[in-house]
Amino acid sequence: MKHPNEVQLALFAGGDLGYWDRWRVRRHVSRCSGCESEVQALRTAGEQVRELTAELPKDVNWQSLAEEMTGNIRVGLAAGEAIARFDRPATAGKASGLGWNAAMVVACATAVFVAGFWINVPQPQKDHLLTALRRIRTERIGTLVSGRNAGQEDVVLEASSFGIEVKENGRTMSLTHPASPGVTVSINMKGSAGVRYVDADTGQVTTNKVYYAEQ
Amino acid sequence: MRSNKICLAACFLGMLMSGALSAAVSIHLPPDSPVVLISSDYGDTSETARGGAMLLDLHAALTLRNSTQRRIRGITLLVTAQAVTPGGKGSVTVTSLDIGPNESFPVRVDLRLLRPLQASGESPVLIGLDGVLFDDLSFYGPDKLSSRRTLTLCEWEARRDRKYFKSLLAEGGSPRLQQEILASMTHSADRPTLDVQMIRGGRATNFEPEKQVQFAFLRLPDSPIEPTDGMARIAGNEARSPRLEVKNRSDRPIRYIEIGWILKDRGGREFLAGSVPADLNLAPGQKSQILENTTLKFPQRGGGQLAIEGMTGFVSNVQFADGSVWIPSRADLGAPQLQRVMAPSDEEQRLVQIYRKNGIKGVVAELNKF
Repeated sequence: MKHPNEVQLALFAGGDLGYWDRWRVRRHVSRCSGCESEVQALRTAGEQVRELTAELPKDVNWQSLAEEMTGNIRVGLAAGEAIARFDRPATAGKASGLGWNAAMVVACATAVFVAGFWINVPQPQKDHLLTALRRIRTERIGTLVSGRNAGQEDVVLEASSFGIEVKENGRTMSLTHPASPGVTVSINMKGSAGVRYVDADTGQVTTNKVYYAEQ
Repeated sequence: MRSNKICLAACFLGMLMSGALSAAVSIHLPPDSPVVLISSDYGDTSETARGGAMLLDLHAALTLRNSTQRRIRGITLLVTAQAVTPGGKGSVTVTSLDIGPNESFPVRVDLRLLRPLQASGESPVLIGLDGVLFDDLSFYGPDKLSSRRTLTLCEWEARRDRKYFKSLLAEGGSPRLQQEILASMTHSADRPTLDVQMIRGGRATNFEPEKQVQFAFLRLPDSPIEPTDGMARIAGNEARSPRLEVKNRSDRPIRYIEIGWILKDRGGREFLAGSVPADLNLAPGQKSQILENTTLKFPQRGGGQLAIEGMTGFVSNVQFADGSVWIPSRADLGAPQLQRVMAPSDEEQRLVQIYRKNGIKGVVAELNKF
């Protein structure tokens, strides 16, 4: 039989062993009278120590102890502040200088890039870009510019050499014509589109027109 | 035997389909109409579903007869499809006619209607009469589309051009006339053409920078109207909101004018973009402004985008308060800028077509009829 060592027995007597070790030591102590007496002796000694420490010393000055503790705390705080003041100027100055330098470098690089871009971009693209920027300035992002989709074109009349058509609510009416030389397309700003052709079979000159409803 | 039955069934089905399609077209002529319908043929007319839409492809060949004792010079048929475009309408105008009493003539109506499938099953197309112009310039019809003015202008142009070609014939015979006809064919082939879209309202739809461009005016010496000032807003290939100021320099009141609008692109090419019409009441010496809140867009097929740089305006026709009209003379049309962009008149195109089919003798014979 292997006996638990003194430390295990002391911990067992104070109730500080873990679950598994406590079960194992208790099982052994219940069968081993030597170890049982050792545990009993340890428990008795522990009770005596607790009884002795339960009584406070008569000459302890609680006021001075509290002042000493408060003083220690203040010294600690002052030391922390002194260390912080000592580190701060050097660190802040270094970071600030680096930031401005970086900003200057980025600004110069941007200026060079913009100048190069502006010189090399063709005039129509420049105009396009300026218009877009102007629109950003004048029309707030997220503002509904008009009732319909800004990109949506509201074509109502169309005239081409293939025919003419009027569109309304997704519906279309087109007038077509047979292939003919000299087809003439015309549009009238009052709201009509026309196409004129010569019918090769009959020789007649025919003009087809479509009219937009609002006229 | 069996194949015969199949053929008969197919023919019967075809007749039913044709009947159903022709039922979608209604031709209405007033009881006192100067023309009567002799026949109507709907040949290749079809109605097919295309995705979520129904497409009616109508090809109507109508034969009309002049039931009056006067000669017909022009006719306008009004085409409406209320179920498809409630307010929109179309017209088919045949000009430069010379139809004697009881003579018949054909009119073709080629119409395509696209409507959503869920819309009403029927898509009735109504064909009616808007006006007929006679050789004495008298007119019959409801004139809902201002056909009287259109047909009268065409008739005046036809008279002007016949007179011009007759003068050439008298001056230099057939060779001179042939020379002019050939020049007309060349000019017609060289004339630049543009596709045009009209956009509702005056808002530019592209992102090009917009600028105000002043009109330059082509002065026609005997024009009763003098354009004095004008501008429009230009953005890339769009022109919008033209504003023109005109003055009546004739001694007669004017009720209608039309200003032709020539656009010039960055490459220096010129195109006839359209016309700015105005109904007005302009006393002699009086000035007036014409404003249109519309945008014209010129999409280019398969090429670079058109960039408009300049504009020129010219008076293309005028109607006086008494109904008489003014049109540019042949000398006016000889101005290089107009010659480059203006299409030949209806009558000139008709004479060129006669030349193509029957040669110069055919043209001479045609001119001698008038």
